[in-house]
Amino acid sequence: MIHIQDVSKSFKDNLAIQNLNLEVKKGEILGLLGANGAGKSTTINMLLGFLKPDSGTVSINEIDTFKNVQGVREQIGYIPENVNLYPYLTGIENLDYFCRLAGLNYSKDELQDFLTVCGLQSEAHHQRVSGYSKGMRQKVGIAIAYAKNAEVYLLDEPASGLDPLASNELSKLLKKLASEGAIILMASHDIFRVREVCHRIGILKNGILVKELHSKDVSANELENLYLEFMQN
Amino acid sequence: MLQIIKNEWRFLVRSRIFLGLSIAFILTLLVSIFLGNYQTKKQEQTHQNAKDHVRQQWVSIDEMNPHSAAHYGTYVFKPANLLSSLDEGVNSVTGNVLRVEGHVQNEIIHSEASQMQAISRFGKLKPSLLLQYIVPLLLIFLAFNTVSSEKQSGRLKLLILQGAKPLQIILSKTFSVWLYGVLLLVFVVIIYGILNIDSITAEVLIRTGLFFLSYTLYYFIVSGLTVFFSARWQNATLALTSMLGIWIIWTIFLSNILMSSVEKWHPLPSRNEFQSAMKEDRSKGLDGHNPKDKRGLALKEKVLKEYGVDSLSQLPINFDGMRMQADEDYGNSVWDKHFGNNRNVLQKQKQSFQLGGIVNPFISLQNTSMGFMASDNLHHQEFLLQVENYRRVFIKMLNDKQTYGGSKTGNWSWKEDNTFFKSVPDFDHKPIKFSTIIPNYLLDIVLLAIWSIIVVLLIRFGTKKIKIV
Repeated sequence: MIHIQDVSKSFKDNLAIQNLNLEVKKGEILGLLGANGAGKSTTINMLLGFLKPDSGTVSINEIDTFKNVQGVREQIGYIPENVNLYPYLTGIENLDYFCRLAGLNYSKDELQDFLTVCGLQSEAHHQRVSGYSKGMRQKVGIAIAYAKNAEVYLLDEPASGLDPLASNELSKLLKKLASEGAIILMASHDIFRVREVCHRIGILKNGILVKELHSKDVSANELENLYLEFMQN
Repeated sequence: MLQIIKNEWRFLVRSRIFLGLSIAFILTLLVSIFLGNYQTKKQEQTHQNAKDHVRQQWVSIDEMNPHSAAHYGTYVFKPANLLSSLDEGVNSVTGNVLRVEGHVQNEIIHSEASQMQAISRFGKLKPSLLLQYIVPLLLIFLAFNTVSSEKQSGRLKLLILQGAKPLQIILSKTFSVWLYGVLLLVFVVIIYGILNIDSITAEVLIRTGLFFLSYTLYYFIVSGLTVFFSARWQNATLALTSMLGIWIIWTIFLSNILMSSVEKWHPLPSRNEFQSAMKEDRSKGLDGHNPKDKRGLALKEKVLKEYGVDSLSQLPINFDGMRMQADEDYGNSVWDKHFGNNRNVLQKQKQSFQLGGIVNPFISLQNTSMGFMASDNLHHQEFLLQVENYRRVFIKMLNDKQTYGGSKTGNWSWKEDNTFFKSVPDFDHKPIKFSTIIPNYLLDIVLLAIWSIIVVLLIRFGTKKIKIV
């Protein structure tokens, strides 16, 4: 479980997060909506252990991120907006390299299975990543997290720049991961995608969680209106 | 760490630009090794021919007065050193021919630099030129972007989340860049070894091994510092600029500034001052060719007394030879004093310059490179000393023959035959055993090692402050 309690974080005079409280349970996908600078990436970076909160606690599966950062990171799969892989390596070589860094030595077949599960077409497995589209790189990024047996997936604008087909595939994959028990936190601008994929939605504004709701309780249009209302006030 | 190093090398091997550059550079290195070897072997042959020719002239003296033969003299040629095909050191500017004769210690002449415009301006294309200047530049260009590109692309975050530690990443990247320099070095040493397989001795192996060690340490310093800057600064351009600045300061400015300062702190007399001082001191001694010289007359009285005779004609020996040798002995003491002073000053200059390695490891590298390849000023001074020792033996043998060979004082027409001249030994240069001069280079090696440790510490403690987000 992701647990964020009374967390505040500021950069010099700029208050990035104010008294944030969040929980994401096993098998649940939480979407964080917000404009640029709302605090979405700061929240993810605190969960990753790269930023220390000024106050409050951040924990994953009851392990405090700043007491045992390595232990926390072992459980996290992180997919940034742009998964920048090594362009001179093939998809399978990238996956193999990142797995080996995590101490995981998979066979070629196993690596191919991970890529296939994550939606990368088999003919692309042995192509150099320099020729990949953004969506294909995202899939390898997810495969890296998946192969790591991550319990927690943190996604920072994962669908940004993806074509509708790739975006749809990503949604399916995230739902599949959640159904397998993954804990997923996804930061995004994409209201419709968040509404479609996530179980719960949080709206962040100027570092404050202004609204939290279940996606089943709102339609996409209602959510958009709600979001715009919060942003404009 | 091994995974990161392997991945870095996969990038290098798969990069066409890098491969193209590497092939071009390796070809240049090959040319420099072959050229250096060819030049050294040609020089060796020329040296041997000249030596044989001069010796032939000497042993062909049919009949001659020994002291006239001392004036006739001979020539000593500085032998080409196989090791110097890797690092020419000071050899191209110091000269390689020395005339050996009575009464006077000549200066070495015929430096290559004085005869070839290109050498005096740029130096020879030797592997050391590429290994000291170009390889570090290549390492800088390889390393400046290694960590900053990971940061800018966001991969550094992924690497850390996969369990790699910043220290591991930076050290691995340092090692992979350093390994490239080491492989170039290995390539040079292997090609050099293959070309000279018949001449490899334990001495050559030790010297080449230490040559290799000093370069590997220097390459580690350059690679480590560049990767550190790449990790520490926010962008790659800043890392590249910083390291190029350091490269320019180390290789061009600081070396020259330190050398000029050292020459000011421990000045050598000018050539004019030196010659005037020698001449003045020499004039206080005995003039071998002047029978009325006061000190010559005193020596004459002493010898007459020793032999218990009243006049030179009664002596069983030739006093002229004795007087010449006394002149020579005095001249030698004057030389010892002045050249000894110069050697002391040069030694002080070397020691002070070595300390420059505290702020500039390039100085330590140059010192060890030349020193281990037997082409620095220390080896040159040792050669000059051997020539002077030979000159003394050579002239004394001739003067002693004049004195005790059976002639009488004043009999300048007396001649020795060819057998005697053949018995006069030729100059036989004995290369200095490395074990005897290793203390001269310990400071350089220690400073290179300290610099390497400093770089490791910098990486160790500097990486804590690296901004990942």
